Amino acid sequence: MSNDTATATTAEPGTAPEPPPHGLGVSLLPAEARAKTEGTFPYAADLWAEGLLWAAVLRSPHPHAHILSIDTTHAREMPGVRAVITHEDVPGAALHGRGKADRPVFASEVVRHHGEPIAAVAADHPDTARMAAAAVIVEYEVLDPVTDPEQAFEAEPLHPDGNLIRHIPLRHGDPDAAGDIVVEGLYRIGRQDPAPIGAEAGLAVPRPDGGVELYVASTDPHADRDTAAACYGLEPERVKVVVTGVPGATADREDQGFQLPLGLLALQTGCPVKLTATREESFLGHVHRHPTLLRYRHHADAEGKLVKVEAQILLDAGAYADTSSDALAAAVSFACGPYVVPNAFIEGWAVRTNNPPSGHVRGEGAMQVCAAYEAQMDKLAKKLGIDPAELRLRNAMATGDVLPTGQTVTCPAPVAELLQAVQDFPLPALPKDTPEDEWLLPGGPEGAGEPGAVRRGVGYALGMVHMLGAEGADEVSTATVKVHDGVATVLCAAVETGQGFTTLARQIVQETLGVEEVHVASVDTDQPPAGPGCRGRHTWVSGGAVERAAKMVRTQLLQPLAHKFGMSTELLQITDGKITSYDGVLSTTVTEALDGKELWATAQCRPHPTEPLDGTGQGDAFVGLAFCAIRAVVDVDIELGSVRVVELALAQDVGRVLNPAQLTARIEAGVTQGIGVALTENLRTARGLVRHPDLTGYSLPTALDAPDIRIVKLVEERDVVAPFGAKAVSAVPVVTSPAAVASAVRAATGRPVNRLPIRPQAAVVTATQ
Amino acid sequence: MPELPRPPCQHVPYGNTGGTRWGSGKGQPVLTTHAPQAAQAVTLPASLDEAVAALAAMPAAVPVAGGTDLMAAVNSGQMRPAALVGLGRISEIRGWQYQDGHALLGAGLTHARMGRPDFAALIPALAAAARAAGPPQIRNAGTLGGNIASASPTGDALPVLAALEATLIIAGPGGARREIPVSHLLAGMEMLRGGELIGYVRVPLLHAPQVFLKATGRTGPGRSIASVSLVLDPARRGVRCAVGAIAPMPLRPLDAEQWVASLIDWDNNRAIVPEALTAFGEYVAAACIPDPAPAEDGSVEQLPPAVLHLRRTVAALARRALGRALS
Repeated sequence: MSNDTATATTAEPGTAPEPPPHGLGVSLLPAEARAKTEGTFPYAADLWAEGLLWAAVLRSPHPHAHILSIDTTHAREMPGVRAVITHEDVPGAALHGRGKADRPVFASEVVRHHGEPIAAVAADHPDTARMAAAAVIVEYEVLDPVTDPEQAFEAEPLHPDGNLIRHIPLRHGDPDAAGDIVVEGLYRIGRQDPAPIGAEAGLAVPRPDGGVELYVASTDPHADRDTAAACYGLEPERVKVVVTGVPGATADREDQGFQLPLGLLALQTGCPVKLTATREESFLGHVHRHPTLLRYRHHADAEGKLVKVEAQILLDAGAYADTSSDALAAAVSFACGPYVVPNAFIEGWAVRTNNPPSGHVRGEGAMQVCAAYEAQMDKLAKKLGIDPAELRLRNAMATGDVLPTGQTVTCPAPVAELLQAVQDFPLPALPKDTPEDEWLLPGGPEGAGEPGAVRRGVGYALGMVHMLGAEGADEVSTATVKVHDGVATVLCAAVETGQGFTTLARQIVQETLGVEEVHVASVDTDQPPAGPGCRGRHTWVSGGAVERAAKMVRTQLLQPLAHKFGMSTELLQITDGKITSYDGVLSTTVTEALDGKELWATAQCRPHPTEPLDGTGQGDAFVGLAFCAIRAVVDVDIELGSVRVVELALAQDVGRVLNPAQLTARIEAGVTQGIGVALTENLRTARGLVRHPDLTGYSLPTALDAPDIRIVKLVEERDVVAPFGAKAVSAVPVVTSPAAVASAVRAATGRPVNRLPIRPQAAVVTATQ
Repeated sequence: MPELPRPPCQHVPYGNTGGTRWGSGKGQPVLTTHAPQAAQAVTLPASLDEAVAALAAMPAAVPVAGGTDLMAAVNSGQMRPAALVGLGRISEIRGWQYQDGHALLGAGLTHARMGRPDFAALIPALAAAARAAGPPQIRNAGTLGGNIASASPTGDALPVLAALEATLIIAGPGGARREIPVSHLLAGMEMLRGGELIGYVRVPLLHAPQVFLKATGRTGPGRSIASVSLVLDPARRGVRCAVGAIAPMPLRPLDAEQWVASLIDWDNNRAIVPEALTAFGEYVAAACIPDPAPAEDGSVEQLPPAVLHLRRTVAALARRALGRALS
């Protein structure tokens, strides 16, 4: 869809046609907005190929078991079945994994979590494939699962690599420091599932050269290609990942437990193979947010200034390491929050259990600790008799302060300003002040809520999160910009996951080259790598690469003209497809200047390097930080314990607003995901078995659960090291909003609320409490 | 470019986001499947008796109305009915009629229809339960009869029907009709026989306040943690109450009902002393979630916290329900 139609649909009738908005800072509509709204946008599940086969994956029904034998004879003999593969059919590397190669493609001797892939089938009908997968006879010797992360230290190793994935003993400052006031707490955070709106799906097509093409909704195509190639025993060049429409990605959305078998089946059968995961498989297969156990002790002086924070943080990584190491680094580094803490002693562990696998979910590590340190701040305020917001203000971090990792905060850190903004924002009216409005009670419009039992609470939370990969990750991205005939094209392997990268790329090129029509090519691994789409990195590095490439094209375009007129290219400007000089002597169009030529440029963006945390958790591990302050207002029915979030007022440090409409949407989406963590989202297990892996049992927030979200202030203090000075915006609302909701429930009920999601019985006030 | 050997299968993927490299494809080809079983037969009878006849002719067939439970089971592979008898075109069971002081509700009434004001004027509690029963998409499809037939513990209409002491009119082969109290079916005392269908639900019209209250863990639509339906029967000076979702079937606290009915001043605006509301709530909760029986040594085990919370929830719901019915 061209840019014109996108804007035409928004133009109000009867007004003079305004030039369509373009460039940075405007609310350009995503090019695919219309197709997505109308339901015609193609996702991986819509793919089709002539003569395709359907795949199904057999998954373990046990969380922990020895596999004694796998018998595929019956499955192979079923009519319509074309291939059945197990661990014996993996020609290349048997192990893979995002952070660490410790996960088998198919379980061979041991299954370590409920839903681990054991075999895969290709058949000429999806039902045949499923029935054949069910006909694979696996003999198990069921073992006791290790489901309590605290038991993992002592338990028999679940994996040859041992049960401890990472331990960070962070030491910062004076261990003997002590404050007059000490508060302690134990906190538990549940298991959030990213629950993308579209479950995993993909198509593998064999190539004539013996390679394979994977059409999947990958968010990190090059890493997925390398993993796949290693497992297939092929050179990376012979495996191509083509990224399809991505139906939602707030995490590493793709479960390689289906991507890898898909390609293997295609290679073995010589036919295209398609798989669409059921919701149940999706819940079992992909990674979840780390369930976390946190023990905290905060020391403060009589004025409420923090003296020391001691904490123990235990992440349940599930059966395989994945990116748990990164999550732990974030959890330990941000364990004190955006506060000045001179002395910090934080022990963090990520351990293996037989629970569902954990990995990267937006705000990983930082979200769990935020809920805990903000609960501690509330406790401290109560003990000191200080207003909770005031206590936070007294300790707020600013640029130049030092993190517990020893890293100095060099980026803008307007924490106090953010908190002040949400504090000053008027509170929502009480129902008694606006009797004409219908009051949505906790429990919903047809619920059992009774106004007399409802208490209102106001709570605050401050959160922080890092941007880009940490601890020395090479966060590089490459982009190519081409101009021909007055139309620009961007080629960059940054995947549009809904974060708005393609729109941003169009805006950058419009801004730099003055060309109205910009296309962003689809992504595959024939392009140079752009890295995973997480932690705001595409806005930063891929956006930066696009800008550099566009500037190089601009120079190529203007150089001959500048030379001809004897002026430097800086004195020429391009607007609306016209090139003019500062003095108005020169005026031509881009198309004329191109003279039929095609201009290409490729550029890279690589942010300044970081270093790993050392043995005591010290090091400049992060490229940039983002902050946010949230004030939550909740209504609690104190007899039933039902909670409704009435309003969330948010102030965020965004560096620079590049697209106001998308920014608002990202913040609202992040806040809503946080509401899920706070109130309903927890993938429950019983002895390692996932219970209710469906969207009835797992409650995602609906429109009625989402509060009024007020974006009170966006602080635009540019981060000088970031391209355009912009910060990532999606993660920090997810990190902060659960803590804010918990704080407000605490204020409404006086209960401690030390567990997320908040269960109704934790929000009930009885006569004895 | 040298001619590469063709892959063994022709393939035309469409729908990669760019759409340029592969062209726009040929449009979506019709999905021709070689299903491993014979094609499913779907019958769409136009009357209740035709439906019963269709079921009799194909004993393996499964009746389907809204399909909100059945089709989920089919899609997830838990169920693979050999044939379906669709009840959606039987217009006689999609409305209601009056019959000597009762309403005869068609089993095909959707939740959306029952939630509308004209229905709410007749049977307010059932209308409230219908409005609370899930998101609009589910309420548009799910039916009263389906709610009874699937008999899910969290079925929102069930406690209302139990409190109303509704009777089911079951259609059998050859135009046969028999009646079963809804509680008998839900308790498994009487079962539907092969080839039978729930045709109608007979509900008394009480012309008095009725309440349905449901506690969920969220503000949006969700399954109930506990629900309470309470109806007043002024003609017989009775209060009838049923608690849903905490047991496999709705529970009736009969003693509590009788006790509270005796406290209501039926001739004086149905007045009641306020303390009685709280006591009624506690009574209902203790009846539905009793304390464990004392052990041999006389010690009483404490209920686990989650059960205590459930009991408090039921007590609050019952108290609120009675309060609203009498206000």
